[in-house]
Amino acid sequence: MSYGRRVAIVGAGKTAFGAFADRDLRSLAVAAGRKALANARMEPGTIESFYLGNFAGPEFTGQNHLAPWISSSLGMTGIPSTRFEAACASSGAAFFQAFMGVASGVYDAVLVVGVEKMTCQPTARVTEILAGAGDGDTEVRVGSTFPSLFAMIARRHMHDFGTTREHLASVAVKNHENGALNPDAQMRKVITLEQAMNGRPIAEPLNLYDCSLISDGAAAVVLCAADRAREFSDKPVQVLGVAQASDFVALDRKRDITTFPALKAAADSAYKMAGVTAKDIEFAELHDCFTIAEIVAMEDLGFVERGRGGFFSLAGGTRRDGTMPVNASGGLKAKGHPVGATGVGQLCDIIQQLRCEAGDRQLKRHSLGLAQNLGGSGATCVVTILGCY
Amino acid sequence: MRTGTVYTETVVHLAPTKFAANVPYQVAIVDLEDGERLTARISGDRVAIGDLVSETESHHEIPYFRKS
Repeated sequence: MSYGRRVAIVGAGKTAFGAFADRDLRSLAVAAGRKALANARMEPGTIESFYLGNFAGPEFTGQNHLAPWISSSLGMTGIPSTRFEAACASSGAAFFQAFMGVASGVYDAVLVVGVEKMTCQPTARVTEILAGAGDGDTEVRVGSTFPSLFAMIARRHMHDFGTTREHLASVAVKNHENGALNPDAQMRKVITLEQAMNGRPIAEPLNLYDCSLISDGAAAVVLCAADRAREFSDKPVQVLGVAQASDFVALDRKRDITTFPALKAAADSAYKMAGVTAKDIEFAELHDCFTIAEIVAMEDLGFVERGRGGFFSLAGGTRRDGTMPVNASGGLKAKGHPVGATGVGQLCDIIQQLRCEAGDRQLKRHSLGLAQNLGGSGATCVVTILGCY
Repeated sequence: MRTGTVYTETVVHLAPTKFAANVPYQVAIVDLEDGERLTARISGDRVAIGDLVSETESHHEIPYFRKS
């Protein structure tokens, strides 16, 4: 496989994540897009292709044909403008396509926006829409929800490896601690281990504190050919590796549900492309849609041995001062999880660290970061490795 | 009637609109004797990983299992 031309990120911007009754899907997407363009000192007319990551805009808001609806509002017409849907990995998937557009030499400059507007629906309806990312013919039909799928992963992980309720809670406590320092986070509240272990049950053994939030928000990045990066940014970021992989949608089609084969495949490819190993990665933004997902991702990425993710988390290894800081942004748990915006949102968080712009959350080692974006219960995974110039 | 072993399970407390009246309910992935794996509802007593279960009935094409 050839990796094509080198690609840089020259602009990044996102809205705060939260519940915004006065903001619709388009205004969120446009705000993030404008911020990213301004950050790249780029006019909309320079963009040659537009990529939108969005999971369920039509179901949440009734609007379809979302990509040109948004890009035209950003002042872009006459270019390809397409929406990518891959459940909660929608904007990770859009980013991967955008990367290939530039790496292939077809485009010099492209814009990726991820967006989701979720809080306009009641929780039971949100649960139903999110369940659309599962297999409707099998697991969803019997009453599985997304929390319940990850709850079944957690149960089996606890059974096979001795992962405990306390381990799961430690992920939530750490992510809340980081989120409290993030001005753009939805949940800026520190919680105790005891609180996190005793939340209202959602799908046993997961409780409220194991679950990410229902959020509105958008995030955007501008990609360009690396040899033109300095035209647009004083602080360009290198896309060192990016890969996407797929798996079965139904959890019951997998032989072992305590690992995500798509995550491992994407990670292997991204590491190889970047010419690095797990040991070289200095910090990461991982897809903690549920606490157990961060634990499994730690293991599948090779940051810890299989089965040790929970132990490592409880011991503080993933805190900002730990040996492998994870979700210094607050993660999906505290920062918020507007599902279609999450993948690009993670990249914005990595970029902020690489550029040394993370304020109170700035990490000591911040030259090589990894983002991992998961769709469904693991049927899509995108892994991206970014570095400084 | 099919029989099998519980591979994993959960009790759902927050359900989609369609199943909201049923909470709490148990869902399990069952390893059937023929080697197939199936997501099913559990009726009767709660089950845990490793429990033997057998199919009881099917409501609206939803397979139901219960502790053997």
